[in-house]
Parts: sequence; structure tokens; C-alpha cells
Amino acid sequence: MGIQVQFRKEAAELLSSGAVKLVIGYGEGSTPERRRPVFVRTPAETERLVLDGACVANLSTYLISEGLLSDGKNVAVFLKPDGIRSINILAAEAQLNPEQVVIFGFDIENGEARPLAGRKASDFTQVVEAAKAAGLSPELQKEAERLDHISAAERFEYWKEQFSKCIKCYACRQVCPMCYCRRCIVDVNQPQWINTSSHTLGNFEWNIVRAFHLAGRCVACGGCDRSCPVNIPLRLINHRMAKEVLDAFDYYAGESTDQKPVLATFRQDDPETFIL
Amino acid sequence: MAKIGVFVCHCGENIASMVDTANLVAAISEHPGVEICTEYKYFCSDPGQETVKRAVREHNLTGVVVAACSPRMHEQTFRKACAEAGLNPYMLELANIREQCSWVHTDKDEATAKAIEITRSLVEKVKRNNELQPISVPVTRRAMVIGGGIAGIQAALDIASAGREVVLVEREPSIGGHMSQISETFPTLDCSQCILTPRMVEAVQHPNITVMTYSEVESVDGYIGNFTVKVRRKARYVRMETCTGCGDCIQKCPVKKIPSEFECGLGNRTAIYTPFAQAVPNVPVIDRSRCTYFKNGKCAICKKTCQIDSIDFDQQDTIESIEVGAIVVATGFQVQDTSLYGEYGYGRYKDVITGLHFERLASASGPTAGKIKRPSDGKEPETVVFIQCAGSRDAAKGVKYCSKICCMYTAKHAMLYAHKVHHGTTKIFYMDIRAAGKGYDEFTRRAIEEDQAGYVRGRVSKVFEQNGKLIVRGVDMLLGRPVEVEADMVVLATAMVPQPDAKEFAKKIGIGYDEYGFFNEAHLKLRPVETATAGIYLAGACQSPKDIPDSVAQASAAAAKILGLFSREHLEREPVVALVSDSTCAGCWGCVTACPYNAIDRRDITDRNGNVIKRVASVNPGLCQGCGTCVSFCRSNSIDLAGFTEKQIFAEVMAL
Ligand SMILES: Cc1cc2nc3c(=O)[nH]c(=O)nc-3n(C[C@H](O)[C@H](O)[C@H](O)COP(=O)(O)OP(=O)(O)OC[C@H]3O[C@@H](n4cnc5c(N)ncnc54)[C@H](O)[C@@H]3O)c2cc1C
Ligand code: SF4
Ligand code: SF4
Ligand code: SF4
Ligand code: SF4
Repeated sequence: MGIQVQFRKEAAELLSSGAVKLVIGYGEGSTPERRRPVFVRTPAETERLVLDGACVANLSTYLISEGLLSDGKNVAVFLKPDGIRSINILAAEAQLNPEQVVIFGFDIENGEARPLAGRKASDFTQVVEAAKAAGLSPELQKEAERLDHISAAERFEYWKEQFSKCIKCYACRQVCPMCYCRRCIVDVNQPQWINTSSHTLGNFEWNIVRAFHLAGRCVACGGCDRSCPVNIPLRLINHRMAKEVLDAFDYYAGESTDQKPVLATFRQDDPETFIL
Repeated sequence: MAKIGVFVCHCGENIASMVDTANLVAAISEHPGVEICTEYKYFCSDPGQETVKRAVREHNLTGVVVAACSPRMHEQTFRKACAEAGLNPYMLELANIREQCSWVHTDKDEATAKAIEITRSLVEKVKRNNELQPISVPVTRRAMVIGGGIAGIQAALDIASAGREVVLVEREPSIGGHMSQISETFPTLDCSQCILTPRMVEAVQHPNITVMTYSEVESVDGYIGNFTVKVRRKARYVRMETCTGCGDCIQKCPVKKIPSEFECGLGNRTAIYTPFAQAVPNVPVIDRSRCTYFKNGKCAICKKTCQIDSIDFDQQDTIESIEVGAIVVATGFQVQDTSLYGEYGYGRYKDVITGLHFERLASASGPTAGKIKRPSDGKEPETVVFIQCAGSRDAAKGVKYCSKICCMYTAKHAMLYAHKVHHGTTKIFYMDIRAAGKGYDEFTRRAIEEDQAGYVRGRVSKVFEQNGKLIVRGVDMLLGRPVEVEADMVVLATAMVPQPDAKEFAKKIGIGYDEYGFFNEAHLKLRPVETATAGIYLAGACQSPKDIPDSVAQASAAAAKILGLFSREHLEREPVVALVSDSTCAGCWGCVTACPYNAIDRRDITDRNGNVIKRVASVNPGLCQGCGTCVSFCRSNSIDLAGFTEKQIFAEVMAL
């Protein structure tokens, strides 16, 4: 039985038994390469669910929709390992109760979707550990290293050019599961720390603050990068921050549902290289 | 409408010589909202403060900026002046145009321009200041003293005698510290134990003192007046409540050949032991790592011997949480490991020892009953060489500083040796003799004149063994020629260094330390017993090398500070505390984790029917220290700090 059939069947069972009130999965998109999220509430609708190598989006972001989980009922969601890590982070940051999230875990290998065993976030500990052991994405690492090897001035020029393109649509924020604040810091206008207009300075302020707010939280799902209408390589900034916390604090985002936020904790042996 | 008064101080010439104050006044007078701007030689003086007060009253000022020195220096002075003139003291700001401007610049025009910007920025801030009221918090009038050496004992006795409770925490099985190891003490040569033991007994019997030995501080939370200290009481395996200290168990313990730490390895102890005969409390401990019972479950001879069944192999470490209002840190020092001088042969030749070993040899209660016998064969040494500054004042190998006590104790050692071995000879290699202190120079003179201490000015390059003798090769700088001495024993005056765990300990309790690990005082000259952390004080050799008189004096000073603090039931605290905005808090609890003072809790917001709509962070103003950690953490920008609100800081920055 293929994974798609299997997941449809299991989803239908969960819905008909009332174990979950909603299944968040993937459905046909506008083209064969694209998949869009579908929200399934009845067993019959599970026919709309699709699962294949094109299912890349991190659907955990829909779980933080206001009020979705407040009735205490369960929701099932299709998640790759990055999405499972997001659940861990959201649970650690008290944004959801992981007991309410039923996971249809899968991974994509050679363009094919393949199931992962488990139903609860805690069932996937080994998957997350394996991901940590495999290290930060090698392709990203290669891309990022190119930037590491140029001079600081050239790097600054590079980012200036990239950020100057930003139109402050905030798509990167909307798509990110970690950007759950009801009022984002960019919307604060008393005082207005971040310039709202999309000139280079204001864009720098926004993009750097965004990167900092995701340090030790980004799971590299690539959502922001894909959603950016002007193709700013946001993955590279996120990667840089992830590497920073991994190297300095051996911290890998989303390891468990009770992982303490890296920037809020202090250990006696934390490196203090920044103190001159 | 804002009516701000700006007062530009010359600080004598400190500011006026580098900042054109007339220009500054002219520029600031133009600034919107500034009602009056004047300059004066010393605003902190009485007439200066009068000027401020008069201006507040006459112009009905809504805010005051004094452009002068740092807030640390004079914020309190001018807050008081404002309050006396009827203005809320928190409507005052200091613009620091001295430390941050005149002192660090050499170009008057540039410095003036900068002073204008600094002052303008504080004017913008003060316009947005809010009236605040100080917070009153109760003081727990109980002190903790960490470290039971002479400094800790003295501090505890002084506080206890004034009627306040003290908890004295010592990590060894007995209080006493290094002083209990010393034979006789300079500059009077009274027996160390004889003057120390009564103090130890007084401390343990004092109704206001709780002595916790074999105990270590795990963590310190809270702040001045309200600390919570977690103390680990290590398992002794002997019941404190019942043991009478008869010592039968020690007699019978079959593991007898353990080098005694107290005797610096010159004598042995058993697995169940008290470190020394006069130990307080006189209750033994079992050294788990050496005890046969703990190794293989056999033996338990001590348990069988004890007539009142005081041995308890099942004892566990326990952790006690103790509330105190102030803490004295008196954790003392260590003598430096001298193996860094390979050329002196320490560790290689048994008869090369440290000053502390010598104390044990000279001590009547020591392993040789006070007879000077060398460690290798127990013979009485005929010639003893002392090497001063073996580690101190040696930036290359040892430590840069002077350990302060070694000149004195070396003179003492030479004297004690002369008194005990009448035909013996001493040679003391020294750089110079530092004997500043009451009766100190007289003491070293006495060593030279009455006890024939043979001082040789110069350094030793090498100590080596030849035909059963230790050959000390060095240079006599006064005669300008090399010397070689055949010695039977060599004593190294090793440096006094911080406890090996001093830095970790300092981090744990939240105080500063210097490059070596000696704890930092708040101000070297004016606040030598306080640390920068309010409510934590220092006493003894943990701050810097000290002899007994200095340690005791500092301990009494720390006690006086604490008694001053305890003279009040309440303490006024700065109202600089954090406040969470309920409507925007996302309930991520990052701030709860980040707050170093555990000042943030979770709070439910409920609707009319009591249903929880939302959970938000909530700051307890009694615990908040205004450090701002949570403010910088909060991603949704939901926390603000009274007195330093985002609006204020933003205005300050934008005015630059
Ligand atoms: C060889 C030698 C000879 C000396 N002779 C003289 C002399 O003749 N006259 C004189 O005036 N001075 C002399 N001194 C100096 C004297 O020893 C010190 O001035 C004095 O011991 C300092 O007392 P203290 O209480 O500060 O430290 P210490 O005596 O070192 O006591 C510190 C205590 O704190 C305890 N402690 C440490 N860390 C912790 C912790 N984390 N928790 C709990 N407890 C802890 C230790 O176990 C110890 O009991 C001599 C020193 C040496 C090395
Ligand atoms: S920052 Fe981008 S890549 Fe990282 S978790 Fe958010 S959406 Fe995914
Ligand atoms: S998605 Fe791209 S353009 Fe839009 S705000 Fe983010 S970085 Fe800017
Ligand atoms: S860090 Fe900010 S958003 Fe998070 S709980 Fe604290 S106040 Fe609320
Ligand atoms: S300012 Fe914030 S982090 Fe600092 S003590 Fe107060 S509540 Fe805690």
C-alpha cells in the first residue's frame, strides 16, 4: 500500500472515530509541482489528500491559528522532520499542547515520500536526533560558506543589495510557524523602532530583527525563503544563526518539547568570546 | 507642558577645561521645553544644590537634568535635592559629560559638541519620565557567612553578638581554616590554636549561630535583604545529634595510612576521622572514597565500636533552603602548588617543603609534636634554607602580586627554628623584606639580631641533591657573587592564591573576581568590604592576600555593614521594575526562563465567568531587580522597564 493511500485511510479512521476534528494535509496545487494545504473535516474529504515528493511546506504553521486548539480537541497534521521540530518548539514555547497534535510523519527521499513511524511528537525523538547528527544542511552550508569567505565589506554589500529588494510584504513572517506573536515588533509604533517604509535601512532593521528572533528556533523548513516574492535568500541568514547557536551552545532547535530557549538560558560554561 | 531645568556643572576644571560650558548652556537654552539652563562651578556643593532647589520652586520645573558626572556618583545627591524642592526624585536625570566626555577627549570643540548632544538626549528622556515611588521590601535579618576560617568566625561572632542570627557554612568537617594549621603567629608568637580554639568554641556554642560544617553552597537567589541560599549538607555518615566525639571509632578504623590533608601529608589519618584534635564540631566524618565498608560492604568496625550507634552508612546529602538578608563571603585562600618551580625540586626531594608544612612541623600538636624533623628521615636539620617569593612577584612563572605574609612568616620560621634547634643555621634568600605593620619590622629585626636569621639578598637558581645534601645555588646580590649552601631542608615561601574553585564560586553567587580569582570589592579604597552585588560582603584572604589581623579587621567591618543593614525592618528599593503588557504578551515564557531573579510568573486572564482566555507573564515587583534581561528577550516587545521605558530610550537615542 502506497503512503498516500495509507495516510488517507488512517486519516479517515481518525476522523470517523472522532479522535481528531481536523486533518491538515496536502492537496493538488495549481501545477503538478505544487501542492497546497487542505483542511479535511470529514472522512469523505480524505480523498483530496495527496502525498508525494512535492509536499514540502511546513504545515505546522496552521496549528497556531488563533483558537484552533483551544477547545482541547485534537488535530492531525502531515509533517516532515522539520515540521516535527516546529511542534517541539511550539510546545516548548507554550503555544500548543503536543498531546493535541497527531502527526502523520513522512520524509522525502529521492523525490519520494516515505512514512515515519510514530504519532506523537515524542515518538520522533530518534528522527530529530538523526537530523541533528547529520548536521545542518550540507547544500546550505556550501552556499553559506561562499559568503563566509568574502570580506566583511563585500558581504555587507551583498546583503545591502538583497535587502534593498524587500517590499515588506511580511510573507516570510506569515508563513513561519515560529512567528506567532499577535503583535509583531514591526507593528509597534510607540516608539517605532523599525522603520515601516521599505527603504534599505528599514529593510535591514526588519530582516536582521527577524533573523535574531529566529536564532535557535528556525528549523530550516525553507518556508520564508520560498514565500519571498523577491527571492531574498533568507535561508542563508537563518542558516548562519543556526550554525552560530550550534557551534557556540551545542543547541539544535526543536529537539524536544521541553527544550529551554537558547537565548533565555545561561550555563556556567557558555563561551564568552564576545567579552573583550 | 514640559518645563525642564538644566544645570551644567564645571566640576572645578574637570569638565570646564575640556567643554565650553557657555556654549553648552547657550545651545541647551534654545532646546524646546528647556525653561532654564545655568552653569556653576560645583553643583554638588551646598550652594549648587540650593540653586537647583530654588529653580525647581521658582520655575515650577517638571524635570531636571544635571549635566555633570556619572549617576553612580551623584544621582542620589540630586534626587534628594529635587525631592526637597517638591519634585518627584525620579524626574531627575544626570547627563554624564565628565566620564563620558571631558575626561576622555582632547579636542575642546568636539568635546563641546558631544556634551551638547549628551545633554540634549537626556532632556528628551526626562520629558518622558514618569513619577515613580520607591518600593519598600522587608529585610530578613539573618546573615549567612560562607567559610569558617578566622575571618568567617569573626564576622559570625560580631553579627551574633549584636543579636542577629547567623548561619556559618564551612565545607570542611571542622571550622578553623588555615589558622588552625599554623603553629605560632607573627608578630607576637602566640600559639595559633590557643587563640583560635576559644573563638571556634564560642561560635559553635553561640545561641545565635548555626554552624553547618561539611556543607557547601549550591545556589544563591534573590537580592539584598532577601536571599534564598541552598546549602548542601554532605553526608557525614556519623549522626551529629548523638555522637559524643569519644573517638573510639577513629582508634579502631583499620585504614590508617591515608595522608592527612590537615598535616599537609606529613602525618596520616584514618578513613573515619576528624581533621585535627581540636576540631569543632568534634564529630568525625567517614571519607567514603577510602572506607572499606563503602568499597566492598565489609568492615563496619566503626559501627560495631560505637557504643551509642552513631554511625549511619545510609546517610544521604541533604539540601537546605535558607533565607538570609546578607551574605559574608570568607572562603579564604590556598597556597600555590610549587611544582611550577621544577628547579627548586619541590615534589622531587622530600626535604623541599612549603611554609605550611613547616607550620605543621613546628606545631606542638603536629606530626612531630613540635620537633623540627625533616620529612625524609626524621633527622633534625642542621641547616635550613628559606626561599622567599617562591611564586609571588614573578610574572613569568608565578603570580604578579606580593603575597604580603611570606616575609613575615619566613622570619617567624627562622625564629621558631632557632628556638628549637639551638645549634642550627638558617639562610633566607629574599628580594626585599616587606614588614609594614604594627610590630612587624621590629619582628624581623628580632629574627636577625636575636635569632641570627641569615638573610641573603638574591634569588635561587637551582636546588639539587648531592651526597645526601640539598645544594642551594643562588646569587648574593649585595656581595655580587654566586653562593652555594649545603642544606638539610629547604622551605619555600609559596604564594597565597585564591581557592581553586574561586571563579566558579563567584559566578555561582554572582560576585566579581580579578584575573587570579580573588573576589572584587565594590571600590578598592572607599568600599573595600562590599561587593558590587548589594548585600554580599567580603572578609579575609578571599579578597586579597591577608594576614590574621587584616582578615579579622575586615570581618568586623563586614559585620558592621550588615548590622547597619539589619537596623531597619524595611529597605527602600529603586522602583525600576519591569511591567508586562497583557494585550501583546504571547505567553512564550521566554522571559520566565531568562529572568535571573525568578521574578516572573504566569498569570491567567479570565473572562467574567472565570474561563481562562489567555495566560500572560507577570512580574513580581518585589523580586524584580530591573536588570532588563526580560525586556531584551521579549520578541513581541511586551515588557517595559519603569524609568527606562522604550519611549524614553527611543527619545534619548533619536536626540543624538
Ligand atoms: C604558611 C603560612 C603561615 C602563616 N602565618 C601567619 C602568622 O603567623 N600570622 C598571621 O597573622 N597570619 C599568618 N598566615 C596567614 C593566615 O593563614 C591567613 O591570614 C588567614 O588564615 C586568613 O583567614 P581566612 O578566614 O580569610 O581564610 P582561611 O583560613 O583560608 O579560611 C577559609 C575557610 O573557608 C572554607 N571554604 C573555602 N571555600 C568554601 C566554600 N565554597 N564553602 C564553604 N567553605 C569554604 C575553607 O575550608 C576554610 O575553612 C599564614 C599563612 C600561611 C600560608
Ligand atoms: S524562519 Fe523560515 S525556514 Fe525558519 S522556520 Fe521560519 S519559515 Fe521555516
Ligand atoms: S517575504 Fe521577502 S519581501 Fe516580504 S518581507 Fe520577507 S524578506 Fe521582505
Ligand atoms: S517573553 Fe514576552 S511574549 Fe514571551 S511570555 Fe514574556 S512577555 Fe510574554
Ligand atoms: S527586569 Fe525582567 S529579567 Fe530583570 S529582574 Fe525584572 S523581571 Fe527579571
